[in-house]
Amino acid sequence: MDRLEASLPRVAARRAAVGGLLENRDALGWAMVAPALLLLGAFLAYPFLLGVWLSFTDSRIADPGRFVGLENFRYLVGDGVFRLAVLNTLLYAGVAVVVKFVLGFALALLVDREFRGKRFVRAAMLLPWIVPTSLSALVFYWIYDSQFSVLTWVLREVGLVDRSINYLGDPNLARASLIAANVWRGVPFFAIGLLAGLQTVPRELYEAAAMDGAGPWARFRWITWPLLVPVAVVVTVFSTIMTVGDFQLIWIVTKGGPANATHLFGTLAYQRAVQGGFLGEGAAVAVFVLPVLVACVALAYRALRRED
Amino acid sequence: MNRAVARLLTFQLPLAAFLVFLLFPFYWMLVTALKPNRDLYNLALNPLWTWTPTLDHVRRLLWDTHFLPWMRNTLVISVGATALSLAASLLAAYAIGRLRFRGSGALGITIFLTYLVPPVILFIPLSRIVSALGLWDRPAALVLTYPTFLVPFCVWLLLGYFRTLPQELEDCARVDGASRFQVMRYVTFPLALPGILSCLIFAFTLSWNEYLYALVFLSSTDQKTVPVGLATELVTGDVFQWGPLMAGALLGSVPVAVAYSFFVEHYVAALTGALKE
Amino acid sequence: MRHRSERVTRRRFLKDTARAASALALSAWGLEAGRKASDAQELTFPVERGASLRVLRWSQFVTTDRPIFEENAARFTQRTGVPVRVEYETWTDVQPKAAAAANVGSGPDIVIGFFDEPHLWADKLVPVTDLAQYLGRKYGGWFDVCPQYGYSPQRNAWIAIPIGAPGVALNYRISWVREAGFDPDPARFPKTTDEFLRLCRALKARGHPTGFALGKAVGDGNTWVHWCLWAFGGRAVAPDNRTITINSPETANALEYARALYETMIPGVAGWLDPHNNRAFLAGEISLTNNGISIYFAAKNDFPEIARDMNHAFFPVGPVGRPTELHLFSQAYIFNYTRYPNAAKEFLRWIMEDTQYGRWINGMLGYVSHPLKAYTGLAVWRADPKHLPFRDAVARMLPHSYAGRPGPEAARALAEFVIVDMFADACTGRRSVRDAIRAAEDRLRRIYRS
Repeated sequence: MDRLEASLPRVAARRAAVGGLLENRDALGWAMVAPALLLLGAFLAYPFLLGVWLSFTDSRIADPGRFVGLENFRYLVGDGVFRLAVLNTLLYAGVAVVVKFVLGFALALLVDREFRGKRFVRAAMLLPWIVPTSLSALVFYWIYDSQFSVLTWVLREVGLVDRSINYLGDPNLARASLIAANVWRGVPFFAIGLLAGLQTVPRELYEAAAMDGAGPWARFRWITWPLLVPVAVVVTVFSTIMTVGDFQLIWIVTKGGPANATHLFGTLAYQRAVQGGFLGEGAAVAVFVLPVLVACVALAYRALRRED
Repeated sequence: MNRAVARLLTFQLPLAAFLVFLLFPFYWMLVTALKPNRDLYNLALNPLWTWTPTLDHVRRLLWDTHFLPWMRNTLVISVGATALSLAASLLAAYAIGRLRFRGSGALGITIFLTYLVPPVILFIPLSRIVSALGLWDRPAALVLTYPTFLVPFCVWLLLGYFRTLPQELEDCARVDGASRFQVMRYVTFPLALPGILSCLIFAFTLSWNEYLYALVFLSSTDQKTVPVGLATELVTGDVFQWGPLMAGALLGSVPVAVAYSFFVEHYVAALTGALKE
Repeated sequence: MRHRSERVTRRRFLKDTARAASALALSAWGLEAGRKASDAQELTFPVERGASLRVLRWSQFVTTDRPIFEENAARFTQRTGVPVRVEYETWTDVQPKAAAAANVGSGPDIVIGFFDEPHLWADKLVPVTDLAQYLGRKYGGWFDVCPQYGYSPQRNAWIAIPIGAPGVALNYRISWVREAGFDPDPARFPKTTDEFLRLCRALKARGHPTGFALGKAVGDGNTWVHWCLWAFGGRAVAPDNRTITINSPETANALEYARALYETMIPGVAGWLDPHNNRAFLAGEISLTNNGISIYFAAKNDFPEIARDMNHAFFPVGPVGRPTELHLFSQAYIFNYTRYPNAAKEFLRWIMEDTQYGRWINGMLGYVSHPLKAYTGLAVWRADPKHLPFRDAVARMLPHSYAGRPGPEAARALAEFVIVDMFADACTGRRSVRDAIRAAEDRLRRIYRS
């Protein structure tokens, strides 16, 4: 802290003049949020509002359409494919996020220490997240091939299976395969996010607790975990949203098949809006899930803002 | 003896298992990038190895496609979008998380809500704005539109990291006469550095990875980004040029990881080490 | 009080109008009787000053496509001084880009897309009736399916120029077909669905199963299931484009046939997308599949022994007694936000004229089949006898909307794989034939009622 204290008086003098404005919490607050708001307002507010508006119209790609109220939503509720997509999404997101969290956390705990090759490991574990999804999806497309799968080959060599596995042709296997691919891609996200959270915990707290006689489990339970909760909540919520809206992976590997067993609401929205041209209905698919996501967000936000 | 075994069981084995799980597809990508086409479809051969590696695919990727311009474009766009998003997010997150000014709660939620409509719907109305601003077919279109999914995310992630930092440090500094700006710059941000850096890598890779906006807003072949360009030139109808595609996947991701390990990790270690004194 | 002359005049007026109307209707379809090819002088459009064009098209399927197309464009620039910039996207990515352009009101001047894409934004396009009629007159007429795709009843004009269709045919292994007791000569290949099924069963019995995509394979899946449906007389929708006619005994027969065919297939086809059958065929896992000429092309490059041992044949004909195939129909259209509609039309005319078009089709080695009858004599169809079945793709095809019209509803039905899903459900046993038909009927009803 010596460096800090030494520089303060000089800087303080310079800042004295502007000090008044900067000290005003509200003004400063809004000023600081302004850049973000500007970017989002210009490029997101209008499309977002338009997106929500579209769901209440019968708009097609090149035709603005008319207001039809809840017609699209009523249609979707009666549509078997949509209902299936909702179920698929809940299953997919539910399982994938939980598995990613557990594995990501485990990995973060593992690498949160000094060891030889730490730099390599921390870089290597990023790779699934870095490689463009459009390409890693192709890899899984091949890995899950019913004839050419390297997985099947390995299992056969080891003697665990004796024929080819229909990863993408059987509805339940297809779901499991895609969840596995999503987990593979998403573990680094949780690992890196939680790792940074772990590293932000001041080491002094651990030392103090150790001196007071707290064991590893107690240290984890009373120091690590409470301080990690905010980060964990944010990472989980975002992962949930991204998983629910997963598009590239599904689209490239199965396009929502077989028989719509892997259609999520993101892929369905795209198919209806862009390929079919029914923009209003596609928007309705996307908007339908909003309330659920909003509820998640509200809960998360409350957890974040709670005073300790 | 006991400690060594314990270490093996609780650390090395699990870590190895994770590494195999995470890196195995990359190994497969590497083998495919070096395998001649004939062997790729030959079921009798071992898929995990090739006895006749060839550099043809890599050569095709580098010289017959516009891969290098695409890398450059993607890099420029990702860096630009990340810098912009991170700057805006840092300020906003600090304001919402630490300043707690009037309306910050609602603002936090609003920033987040806009994130919930997926790009597959947004891209059409967004095209109108991009076009109206004259950004059509310019990389600037992406630098300005990527923050729409980077900023909400970064803001919230930083909020989470800021929560982890004890308020006392900042209060001490304030009591000592530091202005808010000084507190931010000299106390909060350095302590949250691991979080900021992880935000950076997330933002960068999300930009790097992005497909739909890059597809719609850019047109000319040498303006494209890596994901779109590879699909355009190496997916010819129902035939995927697996060799060059996998080479592209590797060359398009390994350098980023390497850069992270050398620069970022090094930087974090140096800084957090210095700060903890 | 009506004068006699007035009555005569009115009657004549009505007669003349009727004749003119029918002549218009016929001419709109390029089927004018009595006009000889010599009547068609070269039509040129007055290119605007300072014009330049942007063309968005699908990525090449074969490496010879792009250089030739761009050379044609370069020659156009030489002749007219209009620079042309060609942009490529993967064929399935063309539509979203065109959609954004349609919505925004700016983007490429010309788009070369697939199926009923132009009908999705019919009123944002430049009518090209004059060009279509000219090309039809000059080159022996369009095949029947072309006006169905290119003409918009809504606009009462042609809104797109058919460019050609990547054809799909049966690909088979010669030696294995012979082994199964059938003559591998494509001229004697099974011509009826019954005989074809016997062949497939024999192949399977000898350990060489077939493989047809039943997953969301845009090309391979759609082409064979539509063939099968129509071969037995099944139709999704009636000519009025409203009544859903899929629930019929003919459809049930088609599904039963497909189920029998499924028994001869390799496991896993329910998850097949477009590239799967290529891989399986080249690896020797299947003996027979439906595909474009891409397998043959890849074989010539990397698997010469398979290239020697494979051939192509037409889809067999079903109980309806005539070809009922579906191919990937591509057409070019011009957005009306373009500042240079004449230059655009002139460009399309240029690339469809025999020197340029012939060079392009020949260069693509059989990938794309022509939409105008006169081009049947192109060299590529004689260069290699194995190309032959692809030659008549457009001649033998029906529109995917059969028996309805191409348009937003048909586009949606295709995009949602309604027919493919029906076949997949019935074949894999996920649903009974009756339930599969009912599910498809339900979905079609929802799509067509809007």
